Amino acid sequence: MTLETKRIVIGSLGALFLISLVFVQWLETTRRAEEAGLRPARVVAPASSAACVECHQETNPGIIDHWRGSTHAAKGVGCVECHQAVAEDPDSHSHYGFHIATVVTPRDCGACHPHEAEEFAQSHHAAGGDILASLDNFLAETVEGAAQPFDPHSPTPGRPMEPVNGLASAFLGCQQCHGSKVALRATDGGTVTVDDLSPDENGIPTNAEALDRILRNDDGRPLFDAGSWPNTGIGRLNLDGSRGSCSACHSRHDFSPRRARQPENCGKCHLGPDHPQKEIFEESKHGVAYRDLTDSMNLEAENWVLGEDYSAAPTCATCHMSGHSRNNGRVTHDPGERISWTNRPPVSLPMDTDAEHRVVTTADPAERREQIADTAEAKRTRMKEVCSHCHTPDYVNAFYRQYDDFVTLYNEKFAKPGQAIMAALLDQGLRSPTQFDEEIEWTWFYLWHHEGRRARHGASMMAPDYAHWHGMFEVAERFYMELIPQAREMADHAAAAGRGTQARAVRNVVDSILARPEHAWFEGGAEAEATRIRDAMTRRYGRAPEAPPE
Amino acid sequence: MTAIGRWLHDRLPVEPGALRELTNEPVPYHLKRWWFALGGTPAYLFVVQIVTGILLAFYYQPHPSTAYESVRYITEEAAFGWYLRSVHKWAATLMIAAVVLHQTRVYFTGAYRKPREVNWMVGMLLLVCTLMLGFTGYSLVFEQLSYWGATVSANIADTIPVAGGFLKQMLLAGEAYNERTLARFFVLHAAVLPGFLVALIAVHIALVRLQGVTELRFRNEPPDENRKFPFIPDHLYTELIIGLVLMVVLSALATLAPATMGPLADPRTTPEEIKPEWFFYVTFRWLKLMGGTAAVLSMGLVVFVMFAWPFIDAWFRRRTRLSEASVWIGIAATLLIIGMTIWEAVAPH
Repeated sequence: MTLETKRIVIGSLGALFLISLVFVQWLETTRRAEEAGLRPARVVAPASSAACVECHQETNPGIIDHWRGSTHAAKGVGCVECHQAVAEDPDSHSHYGFHIATVVTPRDCGACHPHEAEEFAQSHHAAGGDILASLDNFLAETVEGAAQPFDPHSPTPGRPMEPVNGLASAFLGCQQCHGSKVALRATDGGTVTVDDLSPDENGIPTNAEALDRILRNDDGRPLFDAGSWPNTGIGRLNLDGSRGSCSACHSRHDFSPRRARQPENCGKCHLGPDHPQKEIFEESKHGVAYRDLTDSMNLEAENWVLGEDYSAAPTCATCHMSGHSRNNGRVTHDPGERISWTNRPPVSLPMDTDAEHRVVTTADPAERREQIADTAEAKRTRMKEVCSHCHTPDYVNAFYRQYDDFVTLYNEKFAKPGQAIMAALLDQGLRSPTQFDEEIEWTWFYLWHHEGRRARHGASMMAPDYAHWHGMFEVAERFYMELIPQAREMADHAAAAGRGTQARAVRNVVDSILARPEHAWFEGGAEAEATRIRDAMTRRYGRAPEAPPE
Repeated sequence: MTAIGRWLHDRLPVEPGALRELTNEPVPYHLKRWWFALGGTPAYLFVVQIVTGILLAFYYQPHPSTAYESVRYITEEAAFGWYLRSVHKWAATLMIAAVVLHQTRVYFTGAYRKPREVNWMVGMLLLVCTLMLGFTGYSLVFEQLSYWGATVSANIADTIPVAGGFLKQMLLAGEAYNERTLARFFVLHAAVLPGFLVALIAVHIALVRLQGVTELRFRNEPPDENRKFPFIPDHLYTELIIGLVLMVVLSALATLAPATMGPLADPRTTPEEIKPEWFFYVTFRWLKLMGGTAAVLSMGLVVFVMFAWPFIDAWFRRRTRLSEASVWIGIAATLLIIGMTIWEAVAPH
């Protein structure tokens, strides 16, 4: 072999080596960048889902792009793993050789995440769908909308004269947070829901007749009732008998843990006039710290353990769900595990819960002892473990004392009296059992459902403006300036109508409440207190408060 | 001679002429071609590694509780720390590549044959030392992959019959990765192996100087009277230009693909994907194919054959008519190494 030939051999092999080196270094650099979180992980669709990815990349690139950025994709979990179904599933259909279902339920997620699914099933979140038989839903379905479709009363240019769907407000309002009862259209014009299907413990329907009634298109795909789907409400009532939707918090199709850790995620539902937890958090020092120190939150961490992965600030998830250094990093999917008061009802109750995770409401001490499976104190201790990462025990205990006092003040001064007045009006027949058909029912609803909750939530999460101005100030104004006068007015009308006994009974309740020391100022006056304040201000500013300092 | 020259000469009695002759070796004409001048490239990159390595060592703290944080400090906070670390990382890659290319040229031109067999073996030791430097350097970051890479390597060493357990203990400073392991890697990386490398380079160059560079005659070369040219300044300029180009390449690589940091080492969590540095891909793939002791013993045999190749080749040529068999063996081995390296690189696990 000549030297010239060897030169070609050396040059060729050297070039091949350098090209392979560049290629390997490119792969290596990419892999390192993915590992350091500087770019999304390289994803290869698993063989079972390769065809899905290829087709849906064209038809729904957003779904595929989201999925590519997910931990699922990185771990080889594709489309089929979550959407696969058996032929007996009511919403299953054959799709290019696979039996798939559109709706992925907690039962499906629980196949790989059984612990999380079980915790979630026991949570108050999973019971969100109970609103379908509650006062709130009456408000949406009847007061705001109409239980039955009705015809439009005049044409709207450009729109057909179709019946008005009176449940639209419930579908797009309440149920998008609380969850719908997923329904399939039936051949008889009705719907098929979990109630009709009676699924067994594996989620398979036991009612063949209901299965046969499901309306399907030419491809055999079941048709959803538009009111119930799409829906990612947290307490969704699924066709397989499971409750909830994991994607309510873990948005599909990237199921980002980072997003679930951020308050904006909870803010889809926990905001607004009746329970503005997100706004309350933002006003609190916790929220201020989070906004400032977001970059130090290590939100990408795999386990995100408080005290190990971060300690810059808390989010909703930090206090209510995430693991921390004092509980070996154990995450809970039951946000109620660390909450010691339920501020949801008109009168707050300690979160002593029974084996079914329901709040124990009986006042009898013996019955309480028997029923309580997890005490409010135990829940508070769990929360204190979180608090203790940044606060001393004295600080935390003192805060809880302030919080307990606040909730008790609201309960005793306004909530229980309000309940008593409303009960008296009902008992005496001065208001109808139908809700929201009388002004005082709106007044009472505003008092406890909006302002009362704002006050209590504001106090629970250290947001003074919500505890006071958006809270107790408005509760007081609503109580003294609306609830009391309206109750008295209803009693006066009853007396004028010859129902003196009933009127007297209501007046007695109102008067006895206002005679209590905490309400005595309202009718008895508080001149001594006013004089004391006036004198103090005169000493401070050199003049009476009527002439404020310039 | 100037006054300063006389002062120096009185104290260092070296004749300028002799010094010039010692350092100014006549260089064969074929080294005018760039691709034959790769012998100096690893040496230049080694100097880069020493300079950047000393600067990095000012900040690095070789203990499991501090190592990762100190590397993070270098990368994110120390002035030009990211640049120094990135240059150090890329220079290591290029150094290994340059050694391989140099060895490829030496192999295919038969420059390892008599009387240069010993220098080939010194070169092999240089290759092993360079790879060991790469391995120990990778382990110092104390991130997940480097931790588990070291653990897997120690377990591989453990499979060597008889001496395996002892080697593992020597590598890890105990039965398993512990708080003394990093200090051991650091001393090997920053003192022992560079010391060996300096000594080996000195022997390597001394042997080249004593035996001269192998002359390669191409058909299109000029007549015999110009077959040599002086090392200084001609070849020195060539090496300087290569050095400057390398510096530009290193800076570009450091800027475009800076060294990153993976997650902190977690002895409780085994990563789904463990990969060593790229220069061990071939051995890692071989290990996956063969498994355990068989892979380790066969790799040991390959390394032995590579060391002894000048003698094996001579024996083979004496007994057969296949005088160019080494070329075909070399082509096959190179393609195999490249193929297995790429295979491991693209394999997800």
